[in-house]
Formats: sequence, structure tokens, C-alpha cells
Amino acid sequence: MSINKKIGLYIHIPFCLSKCPYCDFFSIVSHDDELKERYVSALINEIEIYGRKIKDMELISIYVGGGTPTVLEGEQLKEILSSCFYNFSVAEKAEITIEVNPGTIDGDKIKTIFRAGVNRISIGGQSFNDRVLKKIGRIHSKEDIMKTYQLARYAGFNNINVDLMFGLPGLSKREFEKTLKELMMLRPEHISLYALTIEQGTPFYEFIESGKARLPSDDFCSKLFVSAIDLFSGNGYEHYEISNFALTGKRCIHNELYWKNESYLGIGAGATSYLDNKRYQNYRDLNQYINLLESGILPIRYQEILPLKERMAETIILKLRMMEGLNKDDFRKKFKVPVEKVFYTPLQTLQEQGLLADNGSNYLLTKKGILLANNVFTEFLD
Amino acid sequence: MKMIQPIKIEDIRNFSIIAHIDHGKSTIADRILEITDTVSQREKREQILDNMDLEREKGITIKSKAVRIIYKSLKGGQYVFNLIDTPGHVDFSYEVSRNLAACEGALLVVDAAQGVQAQTISNVQMAMENNLSIIPVINKIDLPTADIEKVSNEIRKIKGLENSPIFLVSAKDGTGIREMLEAVIEYIPHPGGSVKEPLQALIFDSVYNPYQGSIVYIRVVNGLVKPGMKIQTMSNKKNYEVNEVGIFIPKRKSVNQLSVGEVGYLTASFKDVSLTKVGDTITDAERPSSQQLPGYKKVTPVVFCSFYPVENEDYPNLQYALEKLSLNDSSISFIAENSPALGFGFRCGFLGLLHMEIIQERLEREYKIQLIATTPSVLYRVHLKDKKVVEINNPSELPDTNLIDFIEEPFIELTLISPSQFVGGVMELLQDRRGIFKNLEYLDKDRARLLYHLPLNEIMLDFYDRIKSISKGYASIDYHIIGYQSSALIKVEILVNQDVVDNLSFISHKDKAYERARKLVDNLKTAIPHQLFEVPIQARINHKIIARSTVRALKKNVLAKCYGGDITRKRKLLEKQKAGKKRMKRIGKVEIPQEAFMSILKID
Repeated sequence: MSINKKIGLYIHIPFCLSKCPYCDFFSIVSHDDELKERYVSALINEIEIYGRKIKDMELISIYVGGGTPTVLEGEQLKEILSSCFYNFSVAEKAEITIEVNPGTIDGDKIKTIFRAGVNRISIGGQSFNDRVLKKIGRIHSKEDIMKTYQLARYAGFNNINVDLMFGLPGLSKREFEKTLKELMMLRPEHISLYALTIEQGTPFYEFIESGKARLPSDDFCSKLFVSAIDLFSGNGYEHYEISNFALTGKRCIHNELYWKNESYLGIGAGATSYLDNKRYQNYRDLNQYINLLESGILPIRYQEILPLKERMAETIILKLRMMEGLNKDDFRKKFKVPVEKVFYTPLQTLQEQGLLADNGSNYLLTKKGILLANNVFTEFLD
Repeated sequence: MKMIQPIKIEDIRNFSIIAHIDHGKSTIADRILEITDTVSQREKREQILDNMDLEREKGITIKSKAVRIIYKSLKGGQYVFNLIDTPGHVDFSYEVSRNLAACEGALLVVDAAQGVQAQTISNVQMAMENNLSIIPVINKIDLPTADIEKVSNEIRKIKGLENSPIFLVSAKDGTGIREMLEAVIEYIPHPGGSVKEPLQALIFDSVYNPYQGSIVYIRVVNGLVKPGMKIQTMSNKKNYEVNEVGIFIPKRKSVNQLSVGEVGYLTASFKDVSLTKVGDTITDAERPSSQQLPGYKKVTPVVFCSFYPVENEDYPNLQYALEKLSLNDSSISFIAENSPALGFGFRCGFLGLLHMEIIQERLEREYKIQLIATTPSVLYRVHLKDKKVVEINNPSELPDTNLIDFIEEPFIELTLISPSQFVGGVMELLQDRRGIFKNLEYLDKDRARLLYHLPLNEIMLDFYDRIKSISKGYASIDYHIIGYQSSALIKVEILVNQDVVDNLSFISHKDKAYERARKLVDNLKTAIPHQLFEVPIQARINHKIIARSTVRALKKNVLAKCYGGDITRKRKLLEKQKAGKKRMKRIGKVEIPQEAFMSILKID
């Protein structure tokens, strides 16, 4: 392991109260408290093993995601975080985020979390329209979002993210704009705005395939997206990643590590890590995950060492997700070769197509390129 | 089995079984072989004469076989029967006619429940043309739905069979088979000809064998043939030396000679079946016959399509497989071609649609090559203004419209037998397929026989299925080509983003051009993915746009979220998109997937 590296830590909590029909993240619906307790112990085991292995790295972020982390008891979450502080060196100003689903948390739990050291909350709001929330299978209402938001503020959180989705079936332009206006009144420090994507294997995929639900047209969605970007920018938010907006100084440190293709450690069932140019993934099966850790074995399902060219392509793709784009010097420093030497043709083609711009020091997506980012990204792959 | 040689010509009976598909031809053949102890129980398999898996599966006989049977008559006396099995499908009608030419008689098998079908009638006509004695046999009399009286009346309505005795059998349980065989002795004449005449042997089939080249099935019409003899194929005057002659009982057995009236096989130094064409005459090279047996013709393909391997690497395998198949089937033609869209492949010619289907299946099944087959086409005769005539089988080869005087296409005469209640629907379909009504007659109160002339091209796509669904599966069809007729045919060009795409262009009757063009441009609209710009798709006749659709520009293609756990998966997703893109063909600035080229198959 390399020395004195700043990395992020991701902790996966694979439990949900119910499964949203569009979600393809790994989670299970469970009311088995004993299983949850065993899982928490396993997480702590894993943290301890890594704590012994990677002494020379500093955590600049911790992100507890899911699933729905808040289905765990406040005390359990506290226990997990304490174990991180005890086993890793955590930077003084580390960003420590937890995902919260409205309707799964009360004032006491949120206070417990705050006292446990969490300093950023990410609320899975998705929409402020009750009809639409129901349609996409969320268990909360607009009221729940507002309540959770206020509780978080009241508990002392000064860094709150709200997730919103667009391109939801049945959501009109007017309704979406109403949600945006209400969001602007809340003024969270950070907003993630992403289009509903239909992932294979989810119930939503079936709905769409069978014609039970219809997605709005790409045309419609791109208009909504563009108008949202304008609105947020006008309200002082920086559009810093394709789907992410932040007030000054409130970018998500943890996610930026992903987009800069830097190292992170993922623990928990199904979690992935990227360390020393290797990608790891843990077993998803909860029993397998728990059993291995109970025997003191890291539950790694596979690891993949990316070939250089793919590592380059991944770096470009991830960095282009950031609005500042790919810095040419950074690339050359990292890979010891100018990006144009490796990717001359795609860079040229994309500029001709008006999807990519060159501002001298960086390559970055154009306005059109943001909407057609996949077309840009595929150009860099073999 | 003991063979007594030589056989007296008076004791020989050469006959075929002719029947509509599924009326029980092969089962009857099996019973005959059993009853006469030609095959022992141990060797018995269902439908002994059908060798290829495909034949068994499709219930049709593709390659004819000839079996020698020793039959002891109930009235005393021992006879040699040569049972010649015939292909059961219209595509092989020339082969059938040559098989029949090797016989003096035929058993006409009709299903006791289904009655006379289209093929029954054309079979009778063909047998009559070859001066065969016909013994009508009603099979499956054991069926609860058998209606012997009705079927007998239908048979008696067929010209030439008005006064024939009809035999009733159940091939399933063996009922009536004996009586039927006795009738063979009584009603089918023994062969004529003389052993003193120069050799004349009719080739009625041939199969390829890797060690012996072509094994030729022959009927000796005059003279005799034995190993060591110098022979000549009369169509091309080529000489060979006979290696072996023999018979099938039903396994191959070599004999000293084959004499006048006999049926058997012959091997010489024929390296493949193209040298031993069905219908040709073999004669004695040293004492040649003055004339070839009548009826020889060169079979030419009537249906064409292109086969492309799905995987480019399979191209050499496809070539090898086609070469192999043509060793045994000289009616397949194939030439290499290159399509900008589909890569390297072969333009192939076939005797008909079934023939095409069989070859395609054999390539996929026996040679494990995944194929893309293009729309089948007929052979068009294009008369140019400068009086030249060109034959084309691929719409993309059609000369420029202003050079063309007129175009001819092959027409067929179609016989269709259907229950009366479906006649209206059937006629409507035939009308729609440019059919010209010729005749309608009732076989009995609830079944009618229709006669139509229509372009062969009109039955190429989705015709059998439509007829089946209109008639709930009851109608039967038979057809033969009657020649070329001029038609109002035009070429419809398809333009994608202003570029003509040859592989999407097609030839159509002018009355149908608009409808087909409309469907195609609509299909293409969904088959061609959104590009970064708007892509017009146009159908054009003579520089006039007749239909148009537009693939709108891509507005949004973005992965919404991408966090740690997603990176590998998203990359793989993008790689998959990329791979899909790579498989597309670039025409001008537009990327067109293979499915788009296939959509032309779906416009009828």
C-alpha cells in the first residue's frame, strides 16, 4: 500500500424498508433485527481488518450509503462511525455524510447521528409531488421531506444535500418547476439532480417494456434539465458535475474522489474499492459476507487490475463528468503522456461534433455535450 | 436374401408412391418393406426411406431412393418390385417427374380424412404425362374422421381416374397393404425395352459419396450395364468407365449387371453430382444409342437470396459448407458477393422457397453457421431500350430506370384446394397478390379448387402462412412456373440522409410500391438509432420522393448518476454501447444497425 494518501471511505448499508421499483443499487428489504446486528458487527470486523492493513492513509471523507442507512438504529450507526475513528486516521475536517430517507428518521435519531460525528446529510427527496412519489414507489410524502430537512437543520447540520429526479413518468413541466421553486426556498447546500434511468432487472424496466408506464421524451427531459441548470445557477449554485450543484465550498468531497478517479475504500456487502489501480468488489450475499468476516477473512469477490488504456479512458470519462473537465497537465502527470497522443481522434471528432471544448488547459463538455455525455464517453472506449 | 438372376422382364414392376404431404407415403413404404421382409424387425425404424434428420422432421422426402423388393404373390409367382420414392414438394417437381419417368405405375395415396389436395392433383397430372398406370389408394381408413365415400368421390372426379378401382388401406395397422401389392402386379405393366438394344439408362437421382464420387440412380430402359463397361452421359458426351453396379435392398448391394427394366445404381469416375444430372441418359460409349431419353432439362434456380454469416469469421466456413452441399445438390448455385452493410456473403440460387429453407437450415444446423438471409427474390428479365436483355436477381443490380424498356418476371400457375367457406378470403389474398383468376370448381359440396396465375414473387413472403391462417390450415397449394410475363415493375430506391442505400432498395409492382415504401421508411425510422443530427429517410421512384420519415436528432444520452460502486458497471455499459455502435455500418455520416437492413424483410 502506498504511503500518505488521502482516500475516501464508503460504507454500504444494504437494508431498505421497501424496494423502489427503479432502484438497482444493492439492497434487501429486511425486518430481521438479528441479521442487522450481525451485519453491523461484520462491518466493524471489516473496518478493523482494513484499519490494521492501511495505516498510512488518511480518510478525508466517510460516506454511509445504501440501501437506507437510517433503517439501522442511531446507536448502531454511532458504533460503526466510532469504529472508523478508532481504526483509521480520519482528517480533522473530513466530510462525513449519511444518506437519509425521509420517513425513516426522527429527531432523536438525527441528533444521535450528528453527535456521532456526521456533518453532512443527504436526503433522498426525489420529488415534492406526492402523486409522483407514490408512482415511483417511494414510501414518503413531500411532508416527510420537509420534516426531515427541518429536523436536520434543527439538529445542527449545515451541509445538506437533496436528491431530486426528473424525467419521472407523469410529471408535468409545471409540477417539476414547482418542486424546483420549493427546493430553492429550502436552499440546501447541495443538490443532486438526476434523470430517472431505467435499469435492466428493475420492476420499472418491466413497466416500460410492457408499456404499463411511459417515460417522457428525451426532448422534454433535456428541456427540463436545461431549465433547472439555469435556475440553480441563478440562485448561486455551482454546476460542478453533470448531475450535481453546490453552494460555494460545499461540493461533495467524497463524490469528487470518484469523479477524479482517486482512491477509495468501500466496505460492506457488495461495496467496491479502488486502491492502487485495482478495483475490488465484496460479496453481495449477506450471509457469505458476514460468515467470511466472522472467520476474519476479507469478503472480496473479485479484483480487477485495469489495463493502462482503460485506466486512462476511465479517468477521462470521470473527469469529463466534472464541469471543469480534464486538465491536460494532470493527465500528463498521472500517465506520463499527453492525452492527445492517446486519444487524438476522439478528441478531434467530439470537438467537430460540438460536444467537447478545449479552453487551452482543459477539455470540457459543451452544453450540448452535457446532454449527450454518453456519446462523448463511448468515443474514448475501445 | 437370395437373388435369382437374370430376372425376367415380365416379373418386374417399377412404381412410385405419390401423395400430398402427410398423407402417409412414407408409412406405406415402411409397411411394404416390412410385409415383404425387405427389412427385418431389428433394422426397422419408422419411415425407413427418409434418411436425413431434416426429412424426418419436416415430414418430407428430399432425396429419392429406390428399393428393390422381392414380392411373393398370393396367386403364386415371385416378382421384383422397384419402389422409387419421390420428393414430396413442389420445388423438386422436375426431380419428381424424372423419378416417375423411371416407373410404369404409381400408387396415388390420399388421406381418408383430408381427401384430395392440391398436390394430389398435380401429382396425378405429372404421372399421366409420363404415361403411368395409377392405382388410387385411400390411406388412414382407421381414423375416426375418415370419410371413405366422400374421398372416393373426390378421386373419381380427377380426370383419368373416373373408373379406377380404389384400394383402402391403413398403413398404420397394415390393413389392405397385401391387396394393394397384388394390385401392383395386376394394374401396373411390366417394363418394355430390349436387352439387345444399345444401352439407355435414365439418371433419376444421384448422391455424393466422398470415396466414390457421384452414385447414380438409374433405370435401364434398353440394353444392360455392368462394371468395366465404357459409358457416356449423353447430354455432354463425356465418357467414363463403370466401377460398380448394384441395387438397394434397402442397403447397397453390388450385382453383376443391371439389365433392361431394372432399377439400381451405378458408380463411375464422376467426381461430383454436377456431372450426373437428373434426367440425363447414360449409354454405351462404344455402341451409343442414337437418341437421348426424352424429358432432360437443365434445372435452373428460380429463387435467390443472399446468405451472410452473422460473424465475419464464419465466411470461409460458409463457403466450405456451400461447396459441400453442392457436391450433393447440383441445383444450388452460389457466387461470392460483398455488401457494404453485411460484409462478405454469397448470392445463392434455389429451386424454390422450401429448397432455400432446407439449405439454410442445414447450414445452420449441420455446419453451425449463424446466417442472415436477405429477402428472397426471383430472376427478373430486364429489357433495355437498346434491345439488350439482362437477367438480374438482386434489386441492387437493376439498371438505371431511364435505360429500361420493360421488365418481365416469372409467373406461376397455382392450384389451391380449400374448404368452401374460406374461398372468399383466399381469393381476396390472391387478388391482392396480383393473382389472375383462371378457374373455380367444386370437388364436392364443401371443397373448391381454385386455379390462378400470379407472379412467383408474390408468394415469396408470408404467403403460405397467410393462406394457412385464412383457411385455418385446411387449404393446400401446389404450383409450377409457367413462364415469364411482363409486369409494371419499378425500382424503389431508399435514401438515408440523401445517400442511396442499395441494400434497402427493392423492386415492386407499381401499384404496391407506395404501400411497401411507406412501411419500409416507417420501419427504418425505428430501426435506425437517433444520431446527433436529424436523418431523413426517403423512398424514391424515378427521382420522385414517394415516402419519407425522419429520425429525430438525439437530444439526451447521459448517465444520470455515477458513484463509486457504479464506475465499473457504467464503463461496461458504455463499452456495450460502443460495441453495438461498432457493429453498425456507416453510410455517409449515418450509422445503420444490421436490424435496419433486416427490416426490408418485414414489409409484406
